[in-house]
Order: sequence, then structure tokens, then C-alpha cells
Amino acid sequence: MNSRPPRFADISLPGTGPSRRGFLLGTGGIAAALALAACSGHTTSAVADPVATGAGAVPQQGGTLNIAYWADLEGAFDPNQVYWIETRSLNRNFADSLTDQDPETGEIVPWLAESWTVSPDVSEFTFTLRQDVTFSDGSKFNAAAVKTAYDGIVALGANSELGVVYLDGYKASTVIDEYTVKVSFNGPNAQFLQASSTTTLAILSPDTYLKTPQERAAGQVVGSGLFTLDHFQAGQSVKLSRRKDYAWPSKLVKNQGAAYLDAINVTYIAEDSVRVGNLLAGDIDIAWPRLPISQADQQRITAAGDSIITKSLPGISDILLPNITAGHPFSDPLVRQAFNKAIDRASYASTVFWTGYPVVTSPLESSTPGYQDESALLGYDPTGAASLLDQAGWTKGSDGYRYKAGQQLSLIYLIASNTDGAQLLQDQVKSVGINLNLKIVTAAQELTLEKSGAYDLLDSYLTRGDASVLGSLLDLSVVKSAPGKNTQDAATAQQVSAYFAQGLATVDTTARNAAYADLQKYVIEQGVAFPVYERLQVSGLSSKLSGFAWTSEGFLRANDLWKST
Amino acid sequence: MKRYLLTRVGQALVVLWAAYTATFLILNLLPSNPVALRLSGANVQIQDLTPAQLAQIEAQYGLNKPVIEQYFSMLWNALHLNFGQSTSLSLPVSTVLAQRLPTTATLAAFAVVFMLILGFGVAYLAAWVQWRPAKIVLSRVPAIGVSVPSFWVGLLLIQVFSFDLGWFPSTGSNGLSSYVLPAVSMALPAGAVLAQVLTSSFEKVLREPYIATAKAKGLSRATIQFRHALRNAALPTLTLLGLLIATAVTGAVIAETVFSISGVGRLAQQAVLSQDVPVVQAIVLVAAVLFVTVNLIVDLLYPLLDPRIAYIPKVV
Repeated sequence: MNSRPPRFADISLPGTGPSRRGFLLGTGGIAAALALAACSGHTTSAVADPVATGAGAVPQQGGTLNIAYWADLEGAFDPNQVYWIETRSLNRNFADSLTDQDPETGEIVPWLAESWTVSPDVSEFTFTLRQDVTFSDGSKFNAAAVKTAYDGIVALGANSELGVVYLDGYKASTVIDEYTVKVSFNGPNAQFLQASSTTTLAILSPDTYLKTPQERAAGQVVGSGLFTLDHFQAGQSVKLSRRKDYAWPSKLVKNQGAAYLDAINVTYIAEDSVRVGNLLAGDIDIAWPRLPISQADQQRITAAGDSIITKSLPGISDILLPNITAGHPFSDPLVRQAFNKAIDRASYASTVFWTGYPVVTSPLESSTPGYQDESALLGYDPTGAASLLDQAGWTKGSDGYRYKAGQQLSLIYLIASNTDGAQLLQDQVKSVGINLNLKIVTAAQELTLEKSGAYDLLDSYLTRGDASVLGSLLDLSVVKSAPGKNTQDAATAQQVSAYFAQGLATVDTTARNAAYADLQKYVIEQGVAFPVYERLQVSGLSSKLSGFAWTSEGFLRANDLWKST
Repeated sequence: MKRYLLTRVGQALVVLWAAYTATFLILNLLPSNPVALRLSGANVQIQDLTPAQLAQIEAQYGLNKPVIEQYFSMLWNALHLNFGQSTSLSLPVSTVLAQRLPTTATLAAFAVVFMLILGFGVAYLAAWVQWRPAKIVLSRVPAIGVSVPSFWVGLLLIQVFSFDLGWFPSTGSNGLSSYVLPAVSMALPAGAVLAQVLTSSFEKVLREPYIATAKAKGLSRATIQFRHALRNAALPTLTLLGLLIATAVTGAVIAETVFSISGVGRLAQQAVLSQDVPVVQAIVLVAAVLFVTVNLIVDLLYPLLDPRIAYIPKVV
């Protein structure tokens, strides 16, 4: 049974407070290139000019896509308010954003905005908008609609947990002319360009913002997307219908017209085995869990002729954050280094997941732009770990655990449920004499323990397609909350922040990547974070489907998707 | 009778108030707070909000007021059947309940019917059959029903009746057929308890002298068991029935999870974990009303089954 919503991974951009800084953006070159890219035409009739997908088959028009997710514990549909990733997958096909992000390169490309310029101080973004876009209620998409939407999102306040972060420091949107809008911030806010590609900053019809936040959350929203919302019953079912006159996707999709599918039906199945059973029985077309599908279930799926699709989720890998404050064993750098050497990441990947599952090589996922392979620093070395602990004065007692001044080397690890991974980790570090104390806590307990510092380890991860994402957890010049603050002493924090500042201060990819490479190395060497595993989104796909695509954040992109009868 | 009823209804109202108040107290004694939990679901720490944003969201859920004021305004609103806004789900509590209560009510109704059929059926049969091995098996079977975990039974039912035979849907709440399997998995443990109590009750009753009298009068076994034994044997189970029906809500948590039914059981579990006070309060109230009503009905049924139990106050 799923006990609670995981307090992680629900978002693509984490909360780091009012003084958040994104990466500084090229004001000339990039914008010009994007403007050029936007110049090519965008009128293709999907049916008249079928796009070959998959193995060169001709897409079929029609059919209903049935998706089963595991749960919806947020119960909202308004893209501007939703943080629940499964719902955002649906939002992506319901509402459009000013920009889009290439899942391969992480590049920001035009969508509802044809081009844009960024002021030299990176505080003003001027978007030139497409002129052929309408919302499904018939109203026109223009500069005023963008202003209404952004003002509306800011007015949502903390009802939009992600909006708070994405539009942090928002000053105003100004209508320059019917199809030009300027979005300005109180200070440099380079992260906004990536944020403008998210579902959270999707532009909804102006009338939508006349409804109360509650009405919008309950589904009284109108977008300009590929599908319209027919029916939304929180946590129970969602039904989307094809919009026949849709013709304004970004260049990242092949089908530049309306969807092939007539409708998308969503149900929620909490039990993994039941969800997979439904896929095999043909009752659903996509089994979409939050955690990777087990190897046994994968074998059932492939044996039935269906397929497994995976997407490496860019951003922070699953990492453990230590509490290095005084009085905790991790306050000694030697203990942190020893702990790092005691983790056998290769066997973790193949045991908890399956043979061939990617082994983590950095605090950043390998699909993140700016990622650097640090596997040399992440090798399994129990002998080295033991000698480091000896050196630190922790000697092995008769029970196999290490002691210093009569105190056992015991670490409190806060977890939501007793997973295979946590138990394996406990077993791995036990071999060097560390007692990993798995403490199962509810979300409420965890928040309290974090605040009081009564823990040694907790885990975290975040999805975002830029190396600067690490800063949202570890850059103490912006992070104010306990989990981040407890990972570094003052000197380390200064150095870490310096690396982030260096990475943010330049637009040159090589220079940025170099700064982040140094940062990734430093974070591991200092024991600021311990990478544990890479994160994959794994879904089961019916053999009837072709043209499946992920967005950069691992959401569903249904433009090219079609179902054979 | 009227006075008895009034007293009982009065007692019931006190129970409802006490349940409501105790829930409020417990949820407010828990560490953390609903807003912090809601934000942490989206990985935003409450420390990272601006004071204005924090004030706005707290005011929205009425959390800016002192606890005692929150309690009285919630109580007052609840008396007007206004349960406020859920803090974890982005919906009014009344909407959430309107969506989910009918589902759980149907599920519970099915489960109670199955429980009665199962419990009474097995116990009646155990008392009826004469062949000793069959009697032993029938009276021991309920022990298995009590011991097997219902989530496992649920998964087994899905595998056999949904995936292999295709008779019933494995998920959702579309059509009455989708309620059968979850109701069976819920009814099994409760029905088994019922069967255990009724079986031993039958054993006792059938040894009573009045049964011997009935036999001596030349009544058939069928008549004796149905007309004379069942009535008396059923008395202890009636008390139990009141409790078992109330546990339908707890049983629903598991059945709803396994069978992917969006009902009140799962909602209750999720709401407790996210400290969603308004939702928990409303569910507790609904469950308390159910519990109190069922027990009132049971109490009123006693005199009908056994005239010796009178509701008339004793004469001094």
C-alpha cells in the first residue's frame, strides 16, 4: 500500500527562496538562433500528410489512449497549481507554454512565443508571440492573455507551489503590442526562460483567471493545447478529448496538426501487479508508475509483446544528504569519506533494480546538461573505508560495529517506508562497521526531525534539465531550510556557493560545464552529498501504440502518438 | 419507548461531539502543520516562502486564527454541514465526500450483505450437518477466514476472477459488478468472525433444555433450528454485527487500495498522513454517525428478538 505522497520528485524545479538565481543567459546569440529556428513554417495537416513514426508505419487516426497512473494525491488539474508529476503529464497535452525544452539537448525552443530577447541584466524577457493561436473557448492568445496568465499565477501565491519559485521576483508583464509582451523581474532571473517552458507557466485562457483558485483546481480551466478537458474527478478519472483545430505545437514534435488520438482516459491503480495485469489484459495502453517497474513485471510485459520505455530524468540523482553539524558522526570528514567508499553502487543498481540498470556516476543524472562522470570518486572500497574509520578513531567492537569512547557508530537514516534499497544500503555499510539505523517516519515526523536536526541522513532528488539544479539543494547562499544547511560547514559552503556563482556568471557552455564539473567533484570529495542511484522513468507500453515521446521532464507528449486497431 | 429513544439519541449526539473534538485535538497535537506538509509534497520548504505568501495560504485555510477559534468555527460550520476546504487536496471537503461517499457506501453495503451470507451460512450449515467430519471442517473454516490478510485475498481474487476468468473488473467502481470482488475481500474476515461466534452460540443453544422439549414435541430438526435455536443463537452476533458494520470503513482502506477504488477509506488514510484536518474531521463524523446509528438499531432490535430484554426503565 502506498503510505503517503513521496516528498520529492514531484517537481522539476525546487524551492530555493526569493533570492534564487538561474544561469545567466546569452542575450544575443541564443535568442538570434532561436528566432531563426522559429522562422520556418508550421502548417502541416496531420492526416493529409502522415508522418512516419516507429518502424515507418502510417499513423492511424482515432482511438482512445487509456493510461493508468498510480495515484493522484493532490487532486487538482489547473496546470498553474499542479505539482503532482502524473497530472502535469496530462497538463502538457492540455495547455501550451511560451517555450519548449528539447529533451535531447535541454535547449529552450520556441512554442507559443516565436522568439524572444533578454535584457543585458537578465531581468527583462521580451517575447514575440505566435498570431494563429486560440484557446479552446474561442478566445485569442495574445500579449494580454500572457499578462493575465502570469499575473494570475503570481496571485495564486503558495497555491502554486512551483509558481512561487518559477516567478520569484516577478515585477510585471507589460503588453508592448498585441503580440509582444515583456516580462520583468526585480533582478536577474535567468532561470525564468526554462521555467517558461513548464506546464506550471502554461498560458490559460483569460476567462480562466476569473474563476477562484478552487474552481480552477477542480478543472474549470481552458487551455490552448492538443486536447481539451472533458471530465476531471480528482484521484479517480480524467478524460481529455482531441482538439480538432490544433495547429501550434513546438518544433520538437513531428505532427504539426491535431492529435491522432480521439481521447485520453486516465485511471489510477495503486497496486503494481494489478496495473501491469491491466496492461497485459489490454484494458490500458500505458502502465505509468512513479517508481521503476520491477524486473519480474518487465519480463511479463515484454513476454506479452508489449514494451518497456525508459527515460533518464535529468536533474539531481537520488542522493543522500548528511547532517554534518556538531555532535553527529558525519561532522568528521573521514567518516563521510568512509561512508562514501562503503556504498557499492554497482550492486545497488543491479540488486534493487536489474542487471544493466545504469550505475550512478555523479550527484547529477547523466542526462543533465553539464553532467560530469565522477565514477572514479564513487568506487566501492570497503578496505579503504575501514582504514579511514580506524584513522578517525572508530574501532571495531565484538558485535562488528565500530565504537569510539563507548559510543557506537550509528547513523539515523530517515525513510518513508522500509524499501529494498534502504535495507541493502544498511547491509553494505554494516560490513565496514557502520550501523545504519533505518527510521521510518511520516512526512510530518520527517519535517519535525529535519528542523531539530535529529537525523544523520536523508535522501532527495529533483528533476530539471540544467546543472544549476544542484544549487536548489546545496547552494547555501539561497537555501535556507535544514536539509541543505546541515550538509556543509561554513568553509565548504563558501566554496560550493563560489562554484555555483561561477556557473551562473557565464553563458559559455564550456566554462559553465567546467565550473559545474569542479562542483560535482567537490561535492563528492567533501561528502556534501552521496549519490546512490540514477533515476529512470519506466513505463509499460502496449504494442498497439506508436510514436510515443517524452518531454524533457519525462512527461507524456501525445502529439505523435497513435494507436493501431 | 419515546423517552428511551430520546435518551439514546441524546447519547448519540454526545458521542458524535466527543469523536469530533477528540479528532481535532489529536490532529492538532501532531508535529508539523498541514501547510508545511502540503508544500513538502511539492518539495517546497515553508521557510522558503515570503511572509506574505505564508500569511495568504494560512488565511485561506483559516490557520491564522488561534486553535480554539479554529475549533469553534469548524464546529459551527460542521453543524451547518460545511466542512471547509481540504488542505491536501485542492477541493472543498463536501465535494470530495460527495464524490467518494456513494462509492464506499455501495461497497460497504455489498460487504455487509456478503458478510451476513457468509457468516450465517457457514454457521447455520455447521449446526445443521450431522456428518461429523463435515461439521468439524465447517466450524474450523472461519479460523482461516480470520487469519488470511485481506490484501492478499484481494490480489488473489483479481488474479483468478479478473485476469484468468475475466468475470469481474479488477479496478474502479463502474457498475455493480466491480463491487463484487472488493466486497468479498472485505466480507471475508468479518464474515468469518461472525461465523465463529454464531457457531459456538448454536452449539450452546442446541444443548438447552427447551430444545429437548421441542424435540420431544416432535418438531422437525429444520423447524427447531430455524424457529427456536436461531433466534437465541443470533443474540450475541447482533452486538457483534454493530461493531463489524462499523469496521467496514477500516476494511475499505485496504479493499479500495487493492482494487483502485477512489473511496472514503483511502481518503481517510491519506488525509491523516497529510494532517488534512477538515477532511479527517468530516470522515470521522460520517463514521461516527454510521456507528451510532447501527448500534441504536441493534439496541432497538434486541427486544424484538428477545422479549426478556426490555427497554422500559426498571420499576423502583
